[in-house]
Amino acid sequence: MSEVISQTALRMLTGEWIGAGKQVAGPARVKPDLVLYSALHSAEALLLEGFVRPSNSIKEFVFPKQEKLYGYRIQGNRVELIENDAPLPEQVVIAARPCDAAALPILDKVFNWDFVDEFYNRRREATTVITLACNIADETCFCTSVGLGPVSERGSDVMLFDLGGHNYEVFCVTEKGRALFSGKTEKSGQTVRATATPEKKFNPETIRSFVSEHFEDPFWQEHALTCVGCGTCAFTCPTCHCFDIVDAGPAAGSARVRTWDSCQFPIFTAHASGHNPRPAQGSRQRQRILHKFAIYPEKFGEILCTGCGNCTRNCPEGIGVLSVAMEIDPIETKHG
Amino acid sequence: MDNVYEPDLMEVISVRQHSPDVKSVSLKFLDPERARTFSFKVGQFGIFSAFGYGESTFNICSSSNWKDHIDFCFRKVGRVTEALWKIEERDMVGFRGPYGNGYPMDAWKGHDLIFLGGGIAMPPIRCAVWYALENRADYGEITIVYGARTVADLVYVDELDKWAQFDRVRVLRCVDPGGETSDWKGEIGFVPHVFERSRVKSKDPIVLVIGPPIMIKNTLPILDKMGVSPASVYTSIENRMKCGIGKCGRCNVGPIYVCKEGPVLTMQQLQGLPADY
Repeated sequence: MSEVISQTALRMLTGEWIGAGKQVAGPARVKPDLVLYSALHSAEALLLEGFVRPSNSIKEFVFPKQEKLYGYRIQGNRVELIENDAPLPEQVVIAARPCDAAALPILDKVFNWDFVDEFYNRRREATTVITLACNIADETCFCTSVGLGPVSERGSDVMLFDLGGHNYEVFCVTEKGRALFSGKTEKSGQTVRATATPEKKFNPETIRSFVSEHFEDPFWQEHALTCVGCGTCAFTCPTCHCFDIVDAGPAAGSARVRTWDSCQFPIFTAHASGHNPRPAQGSRQRQRILHKFAIYPEKFGEILCTGCGNCTRNCPEGIGVLSVAMEIDPIETKHG
Repeated sequence: MDNVYEPDLMEVISVRQHSPDVKSVSLKFLDPERARTFSFKVGQFGIFSAFGYGESTFNICSSSNWKDHIDFCFRKVGRVTEALWKIEERDMVGFRGPYGNGYPMDAWKGHDLIFLGGGIAMPPIRCAVWYALENRADYGEITIVYGARTVADLVYVDELDKWAQFDRVRVLRCVDPGGETSDWKGEIGFVPHVFERSRVKSKDPIVLVIGPPIMIKNTLPILDKMGVSPASVYTSIENRMKCGIGKCGRCNVGPIYVCKEGPVLTMQQLQGLPADY
């Protein structure tokens, strides 16, 4: 027997959460050809089928694109700091993909080693993640290469499995998740979950050893020749977390603000002297792969990639972790 | 909420101009309790800010023995340093820190010390020199070679004279060929060459070399000839940083987060890292 909810009941429940003042986010079709995780103001907008995955990721709900760290008031030569500790409403992310949910426990590590980032933690604690297991995959998905899969529970508070006939099996992973669905499901003998697994698979160890041993390889430059340096790969990635800290000056509200940043931008590492350790796009592409497959695993014991495929999928030139992996694998085989 | 990004407010005690584009600033904490409990290690850095403009990373270039103020020194090159250039006595700046590892001054005890610096690299050497001089009995012979492109680019010149008056201290100053003035009494030449010409004899010294990559590159073969192990040669690397606390992802050199495991690294450590600094 399993716990089941119909699509209609799930939508009604979502509407109840919105009505109760929770911030609810989930996939929504914002343009005819664009699905994004979006803040939902009505349950009608929630999209539950007919797409592989949204073009963005759920990281923005725990690590916003822009977040005020504190404000300040300048009067003559005196400065007064104003804390930004407004309480956060409870947040529900519904119909996240497993590759998005899994990013959160990975990100927890960098935001909590030694110095504890409460901006991240308080949003994380206020958030319940309801994951919709995948019943569809495309040619850029590769979650099974990095130890995940279409039904992975990692990072999820609740799992929803498509049972067909607009019914979902509800599997509560955490107490936080159970609280949302308590009394809202029905018992059913229906247990055949529709799932889809990516076709492409590579060994992440191949990437790690290649990037570690071929630091100066012309491969990087060749691979990056068509890269326009837009940073879309990083911004749509569930795990890329690099940021900048900038001032919105008196004209913009006098605040110090954290904003997303990307290793794909030349200024990211430019020294004050003018020297730049990563002067070419190839070196910046290499850094992204190095960070995900060598640096982060060495520091935190986790690959900084969930196989969502967003980098390759959203790149105007089709460059991303998967395209690198698909090129490296044959190279490694050739040279033994 | 505990906010790791919130700075301490510090008041400017004094500002000093060293060269056409370099100034140093002395600061004290506004909060007397913070002033009383604050401590750092020489070689650590702070994130200093001009409100309305942003944050910038600088070495804390005062000695950690000085309890009433901290110093930082900067070159005017961008948005934040343009704003810092305009600050005056009694103005307020933000400070986060101290961050990074600092120099292992205890491990250096009993050794001769050789400091080699170029241009704006004087501040991160200055803090260690003062610390060593204030604990003079702990260290052997001290040699300081400091150079810049021109005479006008040398910073903390008056302190070089003070250092030279200490026992067992040799100070050599130099400018690049063509950078001298008619009354220049120091050496003419690049730091590595001036150091080589000085024929410093030392058994098992500790070397701190900070400067442009080319200066460091040309210094290493000389140290090698002297028989100095790369494990005894230290530098402080200047990767761009934002958070200073191992999160923002910009200062990595291979697996090293420079803001946490650096900025002070030995040449032996650097040789094991990808050329990404």
